[in-house]
Order: sequence, then C-alpha cells, then structure tokens
Amino acid sequence: MPENYQSGDVEPISGSYVHTEVEGVDHRIYFEENGPEDGVPLLCQHTAGNNCQEWRHLLTDEAITEEFRVIAHDLPYHGKSVPPTSQKWWTEDYTMTAEKFTETLVNLADALELEDPIYMGSSMGGNIALELADWYPERFRALIGLECGAHSPGFYIDWLDHPEVNTTEVNAYSCWGLMAPQSPEQTRRETMYLYEQGATGVFKGDLYYYSVDHDYRDKLDQVNADECPLYIANGEYDYLTTPEDGRQTAEGIGDGATAIEFAEIGHFPMSEHPELFNAYITEVLADVTGDRDEELPDVLEPDDVGIELHQQGPAREKPAE
Amino acid sequence: MADTELGTHEWWESYKETVNGDPEMEVRGHDKFSENFYVEIGDERVLLEMDGGEVENLVPNPTMNHQWSFGVEGDRETWEEFVQETPPAFNHEIIASHYRTAVRNEDGHLQLTGDNKRIFQHLRAFQRTLDLMRVAHNDGGS
Repeated sequence: MPENYQSGDVEPISGSYVHTEVEGVDHRIYFEENGPEDGVPLLCQHTAGNNCQEWRHLLTDEAITEEFRVIAHDLPYHGKSVPPTSQKWWTEDYTMTAEKFTETLVNLADALELEDPIYMGSSMGGNIALELADWYPERFRALIGLECGAHSPGFYIDWLDHPEVNTTEVNAYSCWGLMAPQSPEQTRRETMYLYEQGATGVFKGDLYYYSVDHDYRDKLDQVNADECPLYIANGEYDYLTTPEDGRQTAEGIGDGATAIEFAEIGHFPMSEHPELFNAYITEVLADVTGDRDEELPDVLEPDDVGIELHQQGPAREKPAE
Repeated sequence: MADTELGTHEWWESYKETVNGDPEMEVRGHDKFSENFYVEIGDERVLLEMDGGEVENLVPNPTMNHQWSFGVEGDRETWEEFVQETPPAFNHEIIASHYRTAVRNEDGHLQLTGDNKRIFQHLRAFQRTLDLMRVAHNDGGS
C-alpha cells in the first residue's frame, strides 16, 4: 500500500461526475476511480452518512487496481453528490429506502456502462447486497456485503439529528466503538473525520434503511445467491452485524452464499485498517475471479494474509506526577 | 498502574490525573463538559464530578445529596475486560457495550443509565473520559 508519498506525488485516482435518474429525478453523482478501463469493474459503496473517501486506500492499492477498475461513488446527498437541483429537497426529511438505494446503484452501474461488475459495500452498503441479490441478480457478477446482516435494528436514533445535540460530533463518535481498537489510531480517527463531514439529517436518514426498512429475517429464501454469488464478510469487532449474524444470514440463503469472518477488524474495514482490509479482500476477490484454488476459510486472520498488527498506540505517557 | 487493582482509591486518583492531563480532553471537553456521571463497578459506585472536561472530585458511594446526569453500570468482570489494553469485541467501547445490552439483550456488557439527551450532548468527551480508563489502567496507550 503506497503510503509513503512525497511532495509532488500525484495519486492515480481520478474524479468525475455522472448524471443518472433516481425515482425519475436527475442526480449528479460524483465518483472516483482507478484501474484499467478494461479491468473488472468493482463498484464500491460507502457506509451510512459517509462518502467515497472511505475507499481511498483501496483506490490506490497497486495490486488490486492492476486487475480491477475500482470505482467509489458518493450517494446523492453525500460527499460531492449534491442534492438534485430540480427538487425542493429542503422541505422534507432525507430518508433512504431499499427501493431507492437499489435503483441508485443499478442506474449508476448502467450510467457508467459497467459490464458484469462486482458490487461491494459496507454497513448499509453491505446490507443492500441482500436486496440486490433478491431483485437484480442478473446485473452483477458477484456481490460482496461487508458488515452485512438480515436485520440490524436499534441504530435509527433521534439524537443523530437533533437541534440540541452537536450532530457533527455525535454522528461520528456514536460509531467510534464500531472499529477494532487494534486498528491504527490515525485511520480510525480519519474515519471519524469523514463522518464529521456529513450533511444534517443524512446519516439518520440512511439509518432508516439500515435499521428499519431492511429486514430479511423471513425473506432469505428469496435471495438469489445461486444466480449471483454473495459473499458476507463481517469484522470481529462489528457489534451491529457480528460475524455470527453473517453466518446465520448465509446459512439462511443457502447455495451461493459464503460467510467469512474478518478477524481483528471492525465495521469500517476499508478505512479503519486499510492494509489489513486490502489483504483480506484480495482473498475474496480471488475467489470471485476464480484465481483462488482453495475454499475461503471461515475466519481470515492477519497471519493468513501476512499482516503484522500494529502495536497499540502510539503509546502516550501519563502526565508527570 | 497495571499493578493497581481496578477501582481502588489509588486507581481512581491515577485515573483522575490521566483525564485531567489528556490533550484530547482539553480540545474536546470544550471547557464545557461539566455533567457529573457515576461509574458502577459491581456493587461499588463512584461519582465523577466533572468541571470543564476535568475530574474535579471523585465521590465514593454518592447519596441523595449529590447530583448526576447519567451513569455506566456493569459487573467487575465486564469492567476488567473494558480496561484491557486490547479489550475483547463488544466490551471495547461504551456504545458498543450498551448496544449489546440494550438492543440485543445480552449479559456481560456495560449499560448506560440516566439522561440520554445529556449523554449525546456530551458524547465525545464522555466517551473519551471512559476510554481513558484504559490508558490509566495500562500506564499509557492511545
């Protein structure tokens, strides 16, 4: 992972805007990409209330972008995807639903003319893999649901959009414990910094989909993983959708669904610990493309992918007596 | 500090020093985190009287003469997990722990009590204050 940039280095990520309709309304959607034009398209979805910057370390991973055309977008109302200019969007609450979310993703893939793309998303982006497999299995080569579960209740919280609460901080730091404490502090703090950039009400509106609208507990037999392979990869420290939740979801779906636990990492794997995540996801992507001979293990550990965990810290000395 | 048992007088005094010397608390306490809260470890309750992001007083066994906005409760084993240098999943942070208790109805995790509005108004400073228990317990860390 090229982290040692020097002054004058230009990262190979490019950014563009594409227009696409969602619910009959034109949206100007920002996306960043890196990788060969004829590479396998890998469409990356950010978490609730965040933006495509969560994927910046995957977008600059030379080994992955040698084979894959990695594309990370900002959903409407997130990051640089400003609200639609034709709507009085300020007169109603922002609310995400499964229908709107899947339509956005499929229309975006169509607008970018992505042929047989792999979809990958985390958290709300992980849960939506179930709806995509249910409703649009023919549109994707494979679906990777990171931090994915059939049901993830309890996070549609009023305090995340309240005039007497500092929502900038609260939206971020209500997520602090979703990361593994052994992930590097710099990248954990950066993940929270990205959260602090979200627009008012958007995080909570996303969580309507995440914690209310999305409930596949009684619908897992509808998921077409036998038509479109579905990988459910959940971090050990993800208390919202645990690795056990992922296993139960995959078991409920049956053929074509694979659950895998990512050890020593949490709910924001791609941004909280990019080095470890990129190594883990390389194994999953190799399985998708058929470049991996062995079955994926039930649990991937840092040692399995040649990553030595960072020491806690940097250690901070206690104040002098 | 690791040689000092969690919750002893010496432990709390060292913890107070850690909080009051923490550079992040200087920034994110905003000089406004003055909500008192209690920590209950098993049957032992200690009130932390906060003033501008610093622990002003530690009050063992607070009574009706004292005032607080919220608290954190858990058995000793759960707190022992919480203060480990690398704590186990779900007991590594207060919202994580509370979620497993309040939403998933699991035992063995910490639970928040009291005024939720005040908790969220001061979440980051309150959360940092609790995380510093880990720093104090292990003689440093992040």
